Amino acid sequence: MKKILIPILIIALASNSCNKSDGSSNSLMNATTSTGAGGSLARFAIMGNYLYTVDNTSLKVFDISNSGEPTLKSTVKIGFSIETIYPFKDKLFIGSSSVVYIYDVTNPEQPTKLSEAISPEVLRRCDPVVAKDTVAFATLRTSGVCGGFQSILAVYDIKDIKKPVQKAVVNMQEPMGLGYSDTVLYVCDATTGLNLFGIADAYQPIKIKNITDGNYIDVIPFNNQLICWMSDGLIIYNITDKANPIKIAKIN
Amino acid sequence: MRYLFFLLLLSLLLISCTQTSNNKYVPKTAEGYAPVYAQKNDIVNIGYEAATPTINAGKIYAYGNYIFQNDIAKGIHIIDNTNKAKPVKVGFLKIPYNTEVAVKGNFLYANNLNDLVVFDISNAAAPVIVKRVDAVFPAISQDYPMQSGVYFECVDASKGTIVTWIKKTLTNPNCQR
Repeated sequence: MKKILIPILIIALASNSCNKSDGSSNSLMNATTSTGAGGSLARFAIMGNYLYTVDNTSLKVFDISNSGEPTLKSTVKIGFSIETIYPFKDKLFIGSSSVVYIYDVTNPEQPTKLSEAISPEVLRRCDPVVAKDTVAFATLRTSGVCGGFQSILAVYDIKDIKKPVQKAVVNMQEPMGLGYSDTVLYVCDATTGLNLFGIADAYQPIKIKNITDGNYIDVIPFNNQLICWMSDGLIIYNITDKANPIKIAKIN
Repeated sequence: MRYLFFLLLLSLLLISCTQTSNNKYVPKTAEGYAPVYAQKNDIVNIGYEAATPTINAGKIYAYGNYIFQNDIAKGIHIIDNTNKAKPVKVGFLKIPYNTEVAVKGNFLYANNLNDLVVFDISNAAAPVIVKRVDAVFPAISQDYPMQSGVYFECVDASKGTIVTWIKKTLTNPNCQR
């Protein structure tokens, strides 16, 4: 009897973990669309006549061509601990606590999975991403639940979107959200403030300066303004001169 | 053979996520998680109010001459950015348990806990709710906390809808996962 008992108990114990993974990490992604601009932590994204939303496990597509009457068109099961959605051209980057999934939305109502190519080996959890043409910038933070040894700003060649190639690495303290306008990249860092980099050569960011007006979480470059999500509200800068933001207002 | 059947039953019991107090290692008190309930009519208590200080700054969204900032679980601050030299907070759209916002045209899309709600903001000083799609964002589990390997206070659905799980010292915790 003992021979039967032990395997059964082992199976029972192994099955007991119910490992759904915790949803506590902070992947950040930044989005700029023709519609408006969302912050990096967005779970909502609008592309054309469609509203895409992510909950913990699924991507939903709503037709909003009749804006006041959203119609649910499809629900796509993605994975676990989904946190963010970032529209880039005809793709959606969907961030989870462990993987960034890439979906093609050439057919807007039927997102199809291209890859999980931006995987833990390349971009890990807690990694905000912005993409510009054939370049992707990501911050990899080591504090809290994110793991890793050194917080960095990483630059990837995404000519083949399924196979990002790392081109440069800049050491950071505690990087959060990021965004770019023309040739300047703005990176929030909880320790060192807002870090500005020149990206005229996108693969070789050059440090310009830091601005320290508070605790920056995320940024939206929007026309000639830089809208910053601060831990206690908003700060808006004039960035007519991209490399020299001028504070317009703090709104708490 | 009967013994084997009993063992299978026992193993099935062990497999379930929510074990009950009949297993032997339940402590008198333990750190764990407890559900916070809210009533439906409080959850859907939406309204437009005067500008108010930001309590717990959340996500941001920019559209046209407006900036929107979520106040975590409370609603959305509306900032008029028409005068680029002097953006000003003009009002607060109270949406309980809101965390998300996006805008297109004259319409604002937001979550109201697990529902999608749409507002006509053609008059930004008087948003009007025009549509609610029920239960499309099951963000908060109604069964157990997100964390695994923890004790939690068992769910009593008659108490309302769970809006969050909080860390708490539990007495005789009867559920765990």
